[in-house]
Amino acid sequence: MSYQEKSILGSLLAMVVVYSVYFAGTLRDIGRGDFGASSLGRLIFTVIAIIVIEIVYHIVLAIEGGVERKDERDILIECKAYRNAYLMLATGAGLVITYFIVAGLAGATRIPLTPFLAVNVMLLFMVIAELTKSLTQLFYYRRGL
Amino acid sequence: MARGRIQNNIRRLRFDRAEMTQQELAEKVGVTRQTVIAIEGDKYSPSLEVAFRIAHVFGVPLEQVFQYHASEGESAA
Repeated sequence: MSYQEKSILGSLLAMVVVYSVYFAGTLRDIGRGDFGASSLGRLIFTVIAIIVIEIVYHIVLAIEGGVERKDERDILIECKAYRNAYLMLATGAGLVITYFIVAGLAGATRIPLTPFLAVNVMLLFMVIAELTKSLTQLFYYRRGL
Repeated sequence: MARGRIQNNIRRLRFDRAEMTQQELAEKVGVTRQTVIAIEGDKYSPSLEVAFRIAHVFGVPLEQVFQYHASEGESAA
């Protein structure tokens, strides 16, 4: 497995684990009817955790086998991955906007349409987009372009 | 980009150059070893620039490294 693949796989696993913990906590808050304050601290902790894990992991990778610079194939694969990630993010943003407009016009919803909810749903789609990017890259590295 | 329509002789050319390793070729061309492996296995068609650099390393014309096989129905101009 190349340096790029190891780097992507590590980032992917870190994101899955850290954001699973974050969204599990957020769902618990929503279940309790708590739509705000406690999740801000958790979000800050999540972002810091991701950064720390990424830094430590990439230091270990560099010590183990050295850093490999990206070449044209890596960049082409990254471009294809960004395209898929963008489609995922645009779809998510479209769904959120549509939901808020429709739910807002219809009136009552079971879950209050708060900024907290909007931020978390958008964050969820950003994470899904990032996962899509990583999975697309791993797919093209394995299958070839 | 259709897979497998551009084939190459890189493996044989490396063999003819005293078993030049994929790593050595990668360093001379300026790509990663993984990219050389992908090109050799017909899993990636390189840019024109990299293709020329590979031919330059082996000191042969481009068409001696890469061959394009047109599909049926494709006519030459």
